[in-house]
Amino acid sequence: MVRAVATCQTWVSLALLLVPLVACSPGENAVAKAVPGQKAFRYSLDSAPTSLDPVRASTLYANQIVVNLYDTLYAYKYLQRPYELKPLLAEAMPDISADGLVYTIRLKQGVHFIDDIAFPDGRGREVIADDFVYSLQRHFDPATRPGGTWLWQGRIEGLDDWKKTGSDYAQPVSGLRALDRYTVQIKLTKPYPQLVDTLAQGFSGIVPHEAVEHYGREFSVNPVGSGPFHLVSYDTTKAVLLPNPAFRQEPVDLVFEGYNSDTQGQYGIDIIEGRSPPFLDRLEIAFIKEGSARWSSFTKDNEIQYAGLPNEQVNRVLASTVPVILKPEYAERYHMRSALEAGFVFSAFNMDFPEFGYNENPVREQRNHALRCAIIKGFDWRSRNDSWYSNLGVIFPGVIPPAVPEYDTTLSAASVSYDPEGARTLLAANNWNAENLPVLVYGTTPGPTSRLFYEQFRAWMKRIGYPPENIQLKTYATFGDIAKAWRNSELPLISKGWGLDYPDAENTLQLFYGPNGSPGSNDGNYNNPEYDDMFRQASVMQPSPERTALYRHMNRLIINDCAAITGLSRRGIALWHKNVIALPDRNFVGGRFLKYVDIVQPES
Amino acid sequence: MEILQYSLRKLIAGIPLVLGVTLISFLLIVYFGPDKTYDLLGKNPTAEEIAEVRSQLGYDRPFVPRYLEYLHEVITFDFGNSESTDEKVSTILSRTIPVSIALALPGFILGNVLGVMFALLAAYFRGRWIDKFIMGFAAIGMSISFLIAIIGFQILLSSSDGLDLFPVRGWDTSTPLQYLRYVTVPTLATVFIALGYNTRFYRAVIVEEMTRDHVRTAKAFGTPPARLFYRNILKNSMIPIVTRIVFSIPFIVISGSLLLESYFGIPGIGKVTYDAIITGDQPVLKAVVALTAILFVVAQLLTDICYRAVDPRVSLK
Repeated sequence: MVRAVATCQTWVSLALLLVPLVACSPGENAVAKAVPGQKAFRYSLDSAPTSLDPVRASTLYANQIVVNLYDTLYAYKYLQRPYELKPLLAEAMPDISADGLVYTIRLKQGVHFIDDIAFPDGRGREVIADDFVYSLQRHFDPATRPGGTWLWQGRIEGLDDWKKTGSDYAQPVSGLRALDRYTVQIKLTKPYPQLVDTLAQGFSGIVPHEAVEHYGREFSVNPVGSGPFHLVSYDTTKAVLLPNPAFRQEPVDLVFEGYNSDTQGQYGIDIIEGRSPPFLDRLEIAFIKEGSARWSSFTKDNEIQYAGLPNEQVNRVLASTVPVILKPEYAERYHMRSALEAGFVFSAFNMDFPEFGYNENPVREQRNHALRCAIIKGFDWRSRNDSWYSNLGVIFPGVIPPAVPEYDTTLSAASVSYDPEGARTLLAANNWNAENLPVLVYGTTPGPTSRLFYEQFRAWMKRIGYPPENIQLKTYATFGDIAKAWRNSELPLISKGWGLDYPDAENTLQLFYGPNGSPGSNDGNYNNPEYDDMFRQASVMQPSPERTALYRHMNRLIINDCAAITGLSRRGIALWHKNVIALPDRNFVGGRFLKYVDIVQPES
Repeated sequence: MEILQYSLRKLIAGIPLVLGVTLISFLLIVYFGPDKTYDLLGKNPTAEEIAEVRSQLGYDRPFVPRYLEYLHEVITFDFGNSESTDEKVSTILSRTIPVSIALALPGFILGNVLGVMFALLAAYFRGRWIDKFIMGFAAIGMSISFLIAIIGFQILLSSSDGLDLFPVRGWDTSTPLQYLRYVTVPTLATVFIALGYNTRFYRAVIVEEMTRDHVRTAKAFGTPPARLFYRNILKNSMIPIVTRIVFSIPFIVISGSLLLESYFGIPGIGKVTYDAIITGDQPVLKAVVALTAILFVVAQLLTDICYRAVDPRVSLK
């Protein structure tokens, strides 16, 4: 008995010893702790990025951080809406040859990478034109597993061939050269009006080859850039960034940045005029997927200072949704901004399915067209907006969302109007009935929201006469699995959200361009020769009324062909504490706004 | 010496278990796990690019060489780099496992110690109101989902809508006081749920022991209640209790708690494992599976040694 008790005591003592031992072990928090009086901003994102290597900055989350660690040649102006590009590491906007094929870009001199052991003497060296060339070449090196290749594939002279011959960095690329230490020349195979936009994305962040070679694969978690911040710690819950002490002095010119005192004056942004960013002593970015935890953390005074308004809090926080107005008790404590997403949600019919899409039999193809149009008529966008997006979203016809300049306000709303009676009539007129309507497999990922989306869709279809048992749910275990099903053309209906990469309708219209069919981004395998011709024609045109007319015509083709149930742009409501001076943006400025964040009355 | 010899024998005997677990798990990972390819690809990939990524992930290689490679990784404990973050798997594990241990240990200890205490009380006052009260409380703990308990405790103790006594999120172990600030609410949620299961289980074990002949005889000989409980009942109940406790250890070390880590913003192994499962990050999954199997072998060994410690009649042969 005594022995047993002694053993028990030993175990308890060991366990109790272990707690403080483990607890007091030096963790990342020992490296990166906030100091009272510091200008610290605790920002939040809905999810964690997986890689901080620019070549893999495919997600919004990665991009928000990457653009703060690395420089790109261009960026979008902080406050200008509609969005407008500006030089960042480039000295000026590019010199473009008359035929639109040669871009010459001068880099700023005297910009340095942060100090890092990857450099021979530990001191960050100057960023030069060769670094840009190297950074873009990495997208054509399969070893880096790049996510941004599609931006430049088939566009830059010699770059695709360089990949085919083994991605040897010692070999030059004829269309991507450093003319001298500070001058880059890009030769295109055909005009690419969105090229400068692509050079404003996190994908084009400029990296030093020394760091890539030194860290190998772990370069993704050891970023070495020349951006306004550098990383001090990073895990699944948060990233901590400190200002780059050697960041170049570039005083803010609010007029140049597009400041509008009438619409933006209430945020107090004018205090940054004439000062050089970054203004923060410390930037913490928390990754919080759980809405309730995010909201609880935000409403405390000493945790995260920025959060999106979760749907379940809309009624509690807002006095009105149209227009969006905060209740006085919240308006007193928080700044608020509501903005439409640069993107939309939609469902594309997979035209490769002969039951719904293209069919060798012209009569059946005609009937399929009617079937698709009937499903579109039976889809209740208003109800979806009300149920899931607090009625804050904007429903629009077609695939050109309100966020881009080419948005067509004159387009008929018939394709987004709920018309179950019209749907039933259309089905009957084309000999569709409960007996012969084909099975529609509705693919989704697990989770109550996905399931309810399906149930809602099935209920709408039942109202137009579609037998509920013919709307079948197929659940994929993970997003990767459903993405695979889309890419392999395994589902007849592809429901997804699309965030624009740049403010140009070309980015959504390419979702229906024939050659982009599976495994490309045209998951619906829409294939209309007239559409494809117009797309090719528009793709080499600079922004102009003629190009806008082409875009809009293509948009109407998609609507007339009933190729997709579309669309809705969601409205996000961002809240941030009153002592934070900023204008957050989740669209094209993205994480770049963090450079301009200032804090008044830092916490003691 | 006897224990050392026994331990060595037991560890050697555990090798087939590790082989079996790794083989079955690897089969499941390879043939039923998520396909990482599409996670890594950009927009508009060509068939050639898809093939490149599949090849880099090793998907185009036969199963047997891949499994042999896995075994080599287990022996050398070098699982390479995560396919998601590119960070070394060993770095990820060494960073996150201590956090998960520090997070789970207080709840584990309190949940078991309090569970045994409440079970003893309930068993001693079997059928009386104390027993009913404890068992009722245990039923509540068992009925409420862990998620609800976490959200409930978080709102009650941490949020500005509640008592606002503790942080909602974060993890700081630089001082014992900071550690207590961050670990208290997760621990309370853990203990609340664990007590339900533990108390019911331990009570059942103790009640069964109380009905045995030797206990009745000791009672007839006038053994005082405290001595009776300590010597005749608790000691003989320890074997199932020890089994349950020791076999929970691998979960604490390696599994972490996804929900606790996600809701409280704690950078432990649970979130890493969950992400690896849903994204098909095979190097991380392989490491977690192997480590869990090895820890189970060790737990089995510890259980046997503890059996011997609590009951010398148990032979280590």
